[in-house]
Amino acid sequence: MSKVTNEIVLKALANVIDPELKKDVVSLGFVKNLDIEDGRVSCQIAVATSAAPVKDKLKQQAVGHLLEIPGVKEAYVEMLTHVRNTSPANTPIPGIKNIIPISSAKGGVGKSTVSANLAMALSKKGAKVGLMDADIYGPSIPTLLNITESPTPKENNVIIPVEKYGIKVMSMGFFLPQDKAVIWRGPMLNKMITQFLKGVEWGELDYLLIDLPPGTGDVQLTLCQQVPLTGAVIVSTPQAVALNIAKKGMAMFQQLNCPIIGVIENMSYYQIPNGEKDYIFGESGAKKFAEELQLPFLGEIPIATTIRKQSDEGVPIVEADIDSPHAQAFVTAAENLASQVEAMHTSGDVPQEIKLTF
Amino acid sequence: MNEKAAIPREVTRVNKHDIKIIWSDNHESVFIARDLRLRCQCAQCVEEMTGRKLLDPSTVPLEVKPNEIKLVGRYAIQIWWSDGHSSGIFPFVFLRNLDTEMKKLASQKFEI
Repeated sequence: MSKVTNEIVLKALANVIDPELKKDVVSLGFVKNLDIEDGRVSCQIAVATSAAPVKDKLKQQAVGHLLEIPGVKEAYVEMLTHVRNTSPANTPIPGIKNIIPISSAKGGVGKSTVSANLAMALSKKGAKVGLMDADIYGPSIPTLLNITESPTPKENNVIIPVEKYGIKVMSMGFFLPQDKAVIWRGPMLNKMITQFLKGVEWGELDYLLIDLPPGTGDVQLTLCQQVPLTGAVIVSTPQAVALNIAKKGMAMFQQLNCPIIGVIENMSYYQIPNGEKDYIFGESGAKKFAEELQLPFLGEIPIATTIRKQSDEGVPIVEADIDSPHAQAFVTAAENLASQVEAMHTSGDVPQEIKLTF
Repeated sequence: MNEKAAIPREVTRVNKHDIKIIWSDNHESVFIARDLRLRCQCAQCVEEMTGRKLLDPSTVPLEVKPNEIKLVGRYAIQIWWSDGHSSGIFPFVFLRNLDTEMKKLASQKFEI
């Protein structure tokens, strides 16, 4: 009987295609710890935060292809969740693999709701997630996640973030009574954003999502200056009035060399009880906008009472009922986000590290 | 100019004064320290609203040099100069355009 070699096994596994990235798992570099011993083959396949059914299917396929190899009697495949690092080696916060601001430039389109639900959806897929509420003037994350406790300060001015629903959270809202306002000029904002980035013990994170305030001002600029960002997610409602402002947000990121990961359309439609969809703010405005600008479209989130209600109660829909269609809309967007970040690696779009030898 | 050209691979120095940038398209630029110091675009050196130059070149020492350089996110560098000035941020796009501009000027030199 012919000997089973690494080469033969990898050739067989090259038939397993990642449905999201549309490339085989071998050329994607996902196959790890391959071990061959007397007709017994075992390996691990590490995929980005994919949906569980996709993972099971990939596993079945891999085992199937391995067992087809003459001489292989047993095949074991372990599926791992692996998020790759887009932060350069010289980043000031080395434990965080991907830093992703959620931006709309316009206010009131649902950035915070989207950010919170995306963070939770990524976390439920096995990723380590942090959520930073960068809206210093109007922090909404504490309400959305019903966080009443304050973070613990440590020595050296380091703050330990609050953990809720499996994610690490930091917000200005933790430090201020609800009826008090922050009345600050730029330099103080910069200081606080820097503290939130560098003075918080985030630990190891696959994703740090940053819920941005509206606008293209101090907070956004400080963020782009302090850390190398993976890329921004643009949230918009389908209306021209929101999209035109979102465009300004995008222009800012591009000017500051921060890639755009993709567009999420919020309040896409309202589902009438008879099943029909009412496109309150126009149909697919953000989707067409993404197509026009050749940006990935990450998903559409309907406008729905349950999403609003869960948010107000402090248990976002993804936490409350992940199998509901509304939660699944966020889950799909989160999956697309994860695979777009992964695709940056395979297409060589990850910004290169800039070496500073001075 | 293609967008990616304005991203450096390496920011380094050629001597104790001048800064060298190796760009991602392998192009190399050398920026003479004092020339760059004089082109600082910060609010102390250039009036924000009018663009009028506020920096008096005679106040910048001839031997001015960068003491420290730091990356600003992914789009710029900040330079701490030996004359105590440090508020200028030099975006990569600005530096790459400056390189092109300097080349143009150099090629227009009169023959004597």
